[in-house]
Amino acid sequence: MFGEEKISSNESEGAFTEFVEEQLDELIENVVNEGDLTSIGDRGSDIIVEMDDIEVPTFVYENEGGSGQGSGKGPGKEGGGKMRFSLPFNKLMELISSVLDLPNLTKEGKGKIKEVSYEFKTFGQVGVILDKKRTFKRALRTNLGMGTYNPQTGQYDVQIRRRDKRYKLPERVEKPKFKAVVFYMGDISYSTYGERLELEKRLVNFTQNWLDYNYGPGNVEHRFFVHDMDAYEVQANDFYNVSNMGGTQAAAVFELVFQVAFNEYDTTGTNFYAFYFGDGELFDDDARRILETLEESMRPLFNRVGIVEVQPGRLSLLNRQVATRFSRDPVVRLSEINDKRETIDVIKTLFGVQ
Amino acid sequence: MRTVKTDPELYRLEQRVLHHAKAMGRSLPEIRFFILDSWEFLSLLEKYVYPVSPINIWEGKRVITKKHRVESGQESSLYYEVVQTGNPSYAYLNATNSPMMQASVMAHVCGHCEFSELNVLEDSNSDRTEYVMYLVKKANAARQQMGDKVFLQYWNACESLVPLLSPHSQFNLARSISSDSLQHHQEHDTYVPEDAKSDLMQPFSHTMNRLLQSETAEGAWKKEMRKKIYQEAMSRHGYTLKAPCQDVMGFLCNYASVSKGEKAILNYMTTVHATHDFVIRTQIMNEGWAMYWEKKIMLELFKEKAVKGIIDYAKVFSGVCYPRPYYMRNPYHLGFYMWNHIEELYRDGKVCLEYLEETDQKKKENWNRGNGSDPVKAMEHLVGTITDYDFLRRFLTVELIEEFHLNRINKREAQQIGLSPEDVIKEDSYWVWIDPQPVKEEMLKFFTHFYRPRIYIIDTDFQDGGLLLYHRDDGRRLKKNWIKPTLKNLNLIWKGPVFLISKNWLYSFSANLFKEAVITEVSFEQIQEKISNSEQPFRF
Repeated sequence: MFGEEKISSNESEGAFTEFVEEQLDELIENVVNEGDLTSIGDRGSDIIVEMDDIEVPTFVYENEGGSGQGSGKGPGKEGGGKMRFSLPFNKLMELISSVLDLPNLTKEGKGKIKEVSYEFKTFGQVGVILDKKRTFKRALRTNLGMGTYNPQTGQYDVQIRRRDKRYKLPERVEKPKFKAVVFYMGDISYSTYGERLELEKRLVNFTQNWLDYNYGPGNVEHRFFVHDMDAYEVQANDFYNVSNMGGTQAAAVFELVFQVAFNEYDTTGTNFYAFYFGDGELFDDDARRILETLEESMRPLFNRVGIVEVQPGRLSLLNRQVATRFSRDPVVRLSEINDKRETIDVIKTLFGVQ
Repeated sequence: MRTVKTDPELYRLEQRVLHHAKAMGRSLPEIRFFILDSWEFLSLLEKYVYPVSPINIWEGKRVITKKHRVESGQESSLYYEVVQTGNPSYAYLNATNSPMMQASVMAHVCGHCEFSELNVLEDSNSDRTEYVMYLVKKANAARQQMGDKVFLQYWNACESLVPLLSPHSQFNLARSISSDSLQHHQEHDTYVPEDAKSDLMQPFSHTMNRLLQSETAEGAWKKEMRKKIYQEAMSRHGYTLKAPCQDVMGFLCNYASVSKGEKAILNYMTTVHATHDFVIRTQIMNEGWAMYWEKKIMLELFKEKAVKGIIDYAKVFSGVCYPRPYYMRNPYHLGFYMWNHIEELYRDGKVCLEYLEETDQKKKENWNRGNGSDPVKAMEHLVGTITDYDFLRRFLTVELIEEFHLNRINKREAQQIGLSPEDVIKEDSYWVWIDPQPVKEEMLKFFTHFYRPRIYIIDTDFQDGGLLLYHRDDGRRLKKNWIKPTLKNLNLIWKGPVFLISKNWLYSFSANLFKEAVITEVSFEQIQEKISNSEQPFRF
């Protein structure tokens, strides 16, 4: 009655995987709606997703059974088991980008640098790596034709001839490789602690992940700059830790970042990004200098420049001033954040379609 | 998956095993052996030992979880034996097993197949696997008709019902439903209605009885009313309850108003899971019978040197038949030694009143009054007449409980289960022993509830078309937050309001609304009596 077909649960496994993916979509949507991006974890690492185990609800005694989510609609999350999944970083970012409807970043320098790899997709009669499965299949067919393999008569010899042999042949695959540099600019003169610091961290973390995902790990350099009256570069860990009370000149950090980008990198093959975080309070001729730097230096060179006012006050004028020239600009994006629930809106403003 | 004929060594072993089984007088159906690799084996088990199944997330979840456990070394992928009995029977061998193990599996399978043919519950039927394959096709067609979402929702609802399937219960469909269809009349049914019984007991003139029996006007009215209610129910629904019905899934499969697609799902689920009831009621006898014949056949194979490795076989056998405490119920161990004991009883003529009444212990020990008849015939008769409950009730003695170590518990386990020192009658450095007297009682209790709540249908027209279920109280409460989703699933299948009485609570689910209300407790006996009097079993 049965043929030689394999007994498998592939389709049911697929159905379950689809179900889990739907649940994950919901989970991601919740994460995104709540603006809680902390679950993304460390840069580039897989994340462990935990969700309530599903079980068929039925009449059981107390202290038996799990969470009772059998129909996918049941209640009772207490006391139930958990299902744990390891979600690859790229998959997570893919899900987030589809939920946020973020377009892929436009990359420059295409074709200048190539990532070369070899894939074994084709087969030939000569080569080094023997494809045992294909070879055996061909040999079996030949032997069946020649009558040397015939289980009904007890002949089980399978002789492999040279012409039956199939080798795996390498195929050169070239993928364009892009390089990007991201500059994070922070104002250390304003009170970056508590909620402000959390909001800033959240945005920086997402930006790092988003760019890593778009360009591939290892292709993005992240550099951190801070300013008070002067601007200087710091280590990533110090970005949130240094602070200074007193006057501030934001224009200095924009100018420094442009100098670094222009002098240290190949401007024709590098994608530049810059993001500024501060309270937006300006002194002296700050606004004029920033507008000049943006218009004359940064805008032609950079793929994206984002300016985010974190919990701005009455005296925060940076965005208002910049908006006089860059209100709906594809490169220069302006935003402000007051609450963690606004994180997603800020991300959409910074990376979405204008 | 390939037939055993593709492996000459295994094919030869199969022939030898079947030869010896037949030479020993075993009545076997046609058995078809197949060889599977480990992953195929895993899949087969999750498809409830059928080669195909409709696509469903639960199977997917189980397989993915098992694969993960096997790959991470938490579980072994070696399985002993898997067989779908019936005629023909389909037995599956794990490709990774040694020839000796394969031979023992084949011999074991012979025992199961014969048990399925002979047993009192008449488990074996023709073309079971083929029928399930046909049902799978119907269920897959249902998916197309219903659409993935609705199909999945209905499938999940049916999964909730699986533990409520009891085709062999004392309160199964045949014994609890009067129907105008012939469906259940064809089933073997030993139930005889009360009035029919009394007729049979009185061989005298029926007319004379009527004349002599003075029937009051009230009695006659009640009788007429019962008749009227019965006829009304039959004309409205085509069935009526004559007793509480424990086979809830069987009832819904037969009497719920369902579409073609829904019927296909219900049919598939009911058919595939129906055998579990047989397995649970006969597991000790069944596994014992298989081990008993496996050993006999294997000894013949070793004698004729058809297989090698008798020491390895002895190791495997003792591992499988390792004694466990009574609550763990190792059916291989208990069944095998029980059958050996019963063989001895019949061989020595100990199954008689004289032996039971003999008070001289020495005489009893040396008792040998067998009349030379074959004890296997008596054992076959037992297979054909009793289930595990009677098997243990009749043959498990206090002496055997001690001999089989059913009252012996590992000290660590004793601590885990919270055994109090007063219960311990003996101990050494590793084991503790408890009083063997209550062990049998405890083991028999299993067969009344099978460790799960007893749920019955007691009214199919409650509050105008509602399905009323009753949880028979055994001192334990139902898990409360599972009642609502389960009733919701039942509501989806019944397509009308569903109610559940559990202790002094009435739960209901109707029109997407779950309600609970306090009621006065009613006993199962009261309900039974009311149903038998054609009265409403419960009024709210």
